[in-house]
Amino acid sequence: MANEQLILEVKEKVIKAVNLVDLNPEDIDAQAPIFGEGLGLDSIDALEFILLLERDYGIKLKNPAEGKQIFKSIATMADYIEKNRTK
Amino acid sequence: MRILITGAGSVSAIGLNKDDTVRSLREARSGVGPLKHLQTVHDNLPCGEVDLSDDEMKAVLGIPAEKPVPRTSLLGIIAVKEALEQAGVGSGLPGRIVLINGTTVGGMDITERTYPKVDTRLHDCGGCTDLISSYFGIFGEATTISTACSSAANAIIFGSELIKAGKADVVVAGGSESLTRYHLNGFNSLMILDSQRCRPFDAGRAGLNLGEGAGFVVLESEAHAEARGARALAELSGYANACDAFHQTATSPEGAGATLAMRGAIAMSGLEPSDIDYVNAHGTGTPNNDATESAALRQVFGDAIPPVSSTKSFTGHTTSASGGIESVICIEALQKQFLPVNLGWENSDPDCIEPYVGGSPAAPARRPLRHILCNSFGFGGNDSALVLSVPSPGGNSPMCQEECSGRGPIFSGTPRPANVPSTAVGSGIAGRDPGCKIGPRPEDEPSDCHIIVRGMRYIEGADFEWKHLLNPMKARRMGTLMRRTLVASLEALQQASAGPGQKAGRIGATSSGGESGQTALIPDAVITATGLGCMENSEKFLSAMLESGETMMSPTDFMQSTHNTPGSLISIHLGDHGYNSTYSHGESSLASALTDAFLQLKSGHIRTALVGSHDEITPNTSDYPVPDGSLALVLEAVPEQGQSGNNYVEIADIKAIAPLGARNLYDAILRLQEASSKAETVSCGPVVLRRSSGEEASGNE
Repeated sequence: MANEQLILEVKEKVIKAVNLVDLNPEDIDAQAPIFGEGLGLDSIDALEFILLLERDYGIKLKNPAEGKQIFKSIATMADYIEKNRTK
Repeated sequence: MRILITGAGSVSAIGLNKDDTVRSLREARSGVGPLKHLQTVHDNLPCGEVDLSDDEMKAVLGIPAEKPVPRTSLLGIIAVKEALEQAGVGSGLPGRIVLINGTTVGGMDITERTYPKVDTRLHDCGGCTDLISSYFGIFGEATTISTACSSAANAIIFGSELIKAGKADVVVAGGSESLTRYHLNGFNSLMILDSQRCRPFDAGRAGLNLGEGAGFVVLESEAHAEARGARALAELSGYANACDAFHQTATSPEGAGATLAMRGAIAMSGLEPSDIDYVNAHGTGTPNNDATESAALRQVFGDAIPPVSSTKSFTGHTTSASGGIESVICIEALQKQFLPVNLGWENSDPDCIEPYVGGSPAAPARRPLRHILCNSFGFGGNDSALVLSVPSPGGNSPMCQEECSGRGPIFSGTPRPANVPSTAVGSGIAGRDPGCKIGPRPEDEPSDCHIIVRGMRYIEGADFEWKHLLNPMKARRMGTLMRRTLVASLEALQQASAGPGQKAGRIGATSSGGESGQTALIPDAVITATGLGCMENSEKFLSAMLESGETMMSPTDFMQSTHNTPGSLISIHLGDHGYNSTYSHGESSLASALTDAFLQLKSGHIRTALVGSHDEITPNTSDYPVPDGSLALVLEAVPEQGQSGNNYVEIADIKAIAPLGARNLYDAILRLQEASSKAETVSCGPVVLRRSSGEEASGNE
């Protein structure tokens, strides 16, 4: 489980990356699904997250389908970043 | 009226003319490979590039090397030239000759070399078309359709409509598009480019390859062709345009838009699905498109799917030009009786149809090719399909004669009940009235309906209220122009929903994020004019690309930079599967869009249309001659007598595709609406407006 600080950082980056203007980090449940019923994001948002991983953490995904597991929730995203980050 | 094709021209990675194109197709020789002319950092993205530099094309065409001409225009000139020569159409021919070009890239190749300086005349899609037009000097009018990858197909559809309405004698229609770093990086940011040659419908398909080129056809009526002794290559026997209304870049899983477009096109041709001998698929090679198109093909054809192939593993995806190039391929297939193969397909995917990959040389031909369905689907869910047939004098289409007269309830004076699904069950053009499944157009009958303005809204600048109509979560990706487009459109549609017998839907945002109880008319067609589209997004993407050296590009900025973003956004927001098209021809965009709506309303294809003019002007494009504003007009066709309400302003005629200011039109309509006088007729640019007095109308109720 990624630490609280990284989770907060990921929430802030996600809010900025897909312009969730009216949300604050504390409004987002780290365990809740990001796509579909959760925040209602779509495939373009997933591509923005892939870009975020590469730009901010030096993680390059070749296949957008890999994102499905990684972007399940803020928590899974933070876990993946913690294990794979190169910066 | 039968619409014939009497000339065709094509340039792409597999040939600089039709004959070379056919040779490459028959010899299974792909044009997809490493880039040679386009300068980019991406060396792992094969493309279908035309093997001529700009200077080489200029030399061939006799254009001075120092004259700046976008590559899109150069490619367009090559294909139009071939088409005109085959048709024998030149300066000696009298009558109205119109050029309709489909392009989205326009002059971006020049802009990406000069940015932040933007030469708006060269950047502009319409400017590119004008350069093609002026090369020949025979076109009285020209316009440009920009519905991304279905642009050329929609150009051919509009060309046919102009001829059927008597607004043109000969139309040269198709599309042209050059490769640019801009859209190569854009498609790359969407992660839909294959680093190998694309494999449409294959289980292992991993995306598309971009391509470039141009494809044009010469359209004219049978009578016109006969009178001047022109030989028909094919008949344009059917077509339809529908909107998937699902997502800006993704296709719906069930392929609603694609199914409606194919069904509509086949219905207009008077044929049954079993009459279709070959389908030239959109087949881009992306996992999403090919699965959706397969689902749609299964809905249209059931278990009896005719041979299908995508020719994009030959040409690459030539985006706006694809419908033109592929129409020319279909015409050649009819002429020379051969089936293009789906190159590179090996592995069956349960989610996809199995395409035609060729048979042994000894195998007998399946059956003669008489009717071909050609699909073109674009971003924003702009889906169109054409039926091209072998021309046979006297008519071979089994037209429906008894069941339907081809006239919808719009002419009978009976309003369609609000719960009847869109006439258009999606396809504005071919669907028409739900009671009339197939049938000839009502062209021989007098158009006695009036096209009245039911709702209107104009907003200028960036300072406007939007939160009452748009949920901030839904609007989070929308730039100023997208929000302004939606607000103006929704408010005009709300105003129009007061009319009798309208289809209405719920719109508006509530605090909980759901939709409020406000109702608005859901139009049968959404037709949009925009010169530059969402320029704010285009420039954001462009400057990021130049600053970053083509890395870390945002897909959000790219997907909103196609010109059809505002228009398709409206249909996605309303869930409107009807006709949807976008015109991008500078100051003439609005007159083009109005003409399209006017002709469809007059002919009874549709009963209501939302016509918009939406532009945003950035500091780098401040000399572009359209206002930074959004005009939304809701038009309705009403029978000559009765139920039109009291005072109204009608569009009596549109004389030509010519410059028309959105603000001027708004002011002119407003003045007429508020005028105290009785009947009055005024002109605004090419548009003739008429105000009818209340007494006349009420006397008939």
